[in-house]
Amino acid sequence: MKTFEDSSRRQVLKLGAGLVGGLLLGSAAARAEIGSDWVVPATDEMAKAINKPGKLRIGFSNGFSGNTWRTECLEQMKIEAAANADRYQLIVVDGQGDITKQVNDIDDLIAQKVDAILVIANSGTAVVPALRKAERAGIITVPFNLPVDGDHWTAYLGTDPRQKGMILGEKLNDMLGGKGKIVGFDGLPGNSYSAGVWEGAKPKLGPGIEMLALKDADWEEDKAKVIMADLLAAYPQIDGIYSDGAQMAVGALRAMKAAGRAMVPVTGDDYNGLLKFYHAEKANNPNLKMSLVSEPSWEGIVALRAAIKLLSGENTPKRQTIKPTRIDGDNYLKYMKPDLPDGVFVDTTLTDEQLKKLFS
Amino acid sequence: MKFPILSLGRRYPIWAAVLLLYAVTALVSPAMLSPGQILNIVRVTAFLGMVATGQTIVLLTGGIDLSVAGIVTLTNILSTGMMLGANENIAVAVLACVAAATVVGLANGVLVAYFRIAPIIATLAMNSILFGVALVSTGGAPHGAAAPAFNTIAQGDILGFPASGVCWLGVSVAVAIVMKNTIFGRWIYAVGANARAAALMGVPVRIVVVAAYALSALLAMCGGLLVTAYIGNPSLGIGNPFMMTSVVAVVVGGTALSGGVGSVVTTIAGALFITELNSFTNIAQVSTGAQFVIQGVLIAASVVVYRLLGRQSRT
Repeated sequence: MKTFEDSSRRQVLKLGAGLVGGLLLGSAAARAEIGSDWVVPATDEMAKAINKPGKLRIGFSNGFSGNTWRTECLEQMKIEAAANADRYQLIVVDGQGDITKQVNDIDDLIAQKVDAILVIANSGTAVVPALRKAERAGIITVPFNLPVDGDHWTAYLGTDPRQKGMILGEKLNDMLGGKGKIVGFDGLPGNSYSAGVWEGAKPKLGPGIEMLALKDADWEEDKAKVIMADLLAAYPQIDGIYSDGAQMAVGALRAMKAAGRAMVPVTGDDYNGLLKFYHAEKANNPNLKMSLVSEPSWEGIVALRAAIKLLSGENTPKRQTIKPTRIDGDNYLKYMKPDLPDGVFVDTTLTDEQLKKLFS
Repeated sequence: MKFPILSLGRRYPIWAAVLLLYAVTALVSPAMLSPGQILNIVRVTAFLGMVATGQTIVLLTGGIDLSVAGIVTLTNILSTGMMLGANENIAVAVLACVAAATVVGLANGVLVAYFRIAPIIATLAMNSILFGVALVSTGGAPHGAAAPAFNTIAQGDILGFPASGVCWLGVSVAVAIVMKNTIFGRWIYAVGANARAAALMGVPVRIVVVAAYALSALLAMCGGLLVTAYIGNPSLGIGNPFMMTSVVAVVVGGTALSGGVGSVVTTIAGALFITELNSFTNIAQVSTGAQFVIQGVLIAASVVVYRLLGRQSRT
């Protein structure tokens, strides 16, 4: 069940992501509307549009739906579709984490003759033939969030794990003053997202930084806590925590707290639980610092808009990069949602009211 | 001349393995010898140990309970969703979990005993249902949190000993005593050894099977409560690892998958062994892939070892 859930909520970014939304809109809704500069072309190549007047049917093959990031993503897509109900109808199918089922789902959407298919792929390889079939049928295909092999799809958009890693690596290096012993946490074993982030981060860590252990913790808080408890026993000195997901960072910090160890700088993403933990603990832990890069859950909206543009005769870039938000100890109050559950990913266009309803 | 470790190894191979692995781990990282780390392992083993104790009862009847993963997840979602971080809600949340686990366990047992559905299928289907219920009821966005007082059962200590370990060992020993010294315990073994013969001797086979699955569900729920208290948050993926590891802990402990042979006490050692192994691989820079391979090899090896020992004791 879990195999793809987390790998597919992972995603990421682009250097120099701005805090435009937060600054403009204040603390309640960091991103009420998606700014035009939050999505940038990754290459010059353009995807060719077609012109389909009248009401459209857009299919979304969601590889999995069992975690809060996916839930928020889907909710935002539904709100976007509801606001544009006169132009198109959104049809959602759920792959339940199963590679084969997702291929069948896409085949079904092709058989229903939808106008466009959006995909978050469980496997970037397995969906290739199905997307090629859609292409031959004249259907616009927009994989997003997780990359798909080859180029038999109309347009792709997502964030860039390597660039996220570069930021996280550089920031962790800075927070540690270029020296110290660290431990690290990856997501599910062998997933390409974690590999990409680490590939970006590694060269940015200075020669004075020693990685004691880099472990797979499946993006699960409890798993990271259990592993960290072992690492704390084995290593008397741990100066920092590298992590590509903040659930693992906060799990590891909870283990440090339980062991009575002084807390250390961490990296991660926009998981509300870490922001709340940081807020509660920072006064007593001067060395607790964080540098985070978000995983925008509004990607689905951008994908929908790209598909509609492509169906309205407007060419769009074939590959686009989503810009994430950077969160740290100086600006986290703008993003933290103290009254909402830890599981919320805060880089979202959903208002606190909408999130409260969703998480109830 | 007899070496104590050899005789221990012959009689209780899993306890010898626990000590051996511990020694090896300590060689790699002497810090593992610290009392703090030993207590940490006990604290963490409690989650798996609790689930595996229930799994033992079902395996002894010749069945298997794959729904434990779903029960742990559902317990986590239900308890945090009802507690909402407030101590006054603990009682009602725990009662709701007990009620849910009882229903699930009875349903498993009835499916297996009365509808004659193969246990692996019945409980796998149940697992899928439970995960689906957790997903639908939360809409994929679970809310709530465990209450501070509740969290002490996994994060706190009783006289310097992890509270979760006290719960687990207390429950396991109680179940072991029941299995060894009561008629019900003997019925479980009899059903697992030969259900038809047991029925001819007047054992209420169906009721025994239903009771076994009910106990397994309740113990899985206890494990779910402990792991929830350890982390304090809802997570839809929290139960997943328990499906396999609970079976592995029991089998490595020497309980036969075919039923009728084994004990709850050796499952305590089995759970400790699996947790120690994870701890060892965490510290020894072993990759997750290698961790899976090691676990697989040990399962296969343990079955071979028990078979050889069994043959030896007969001759």
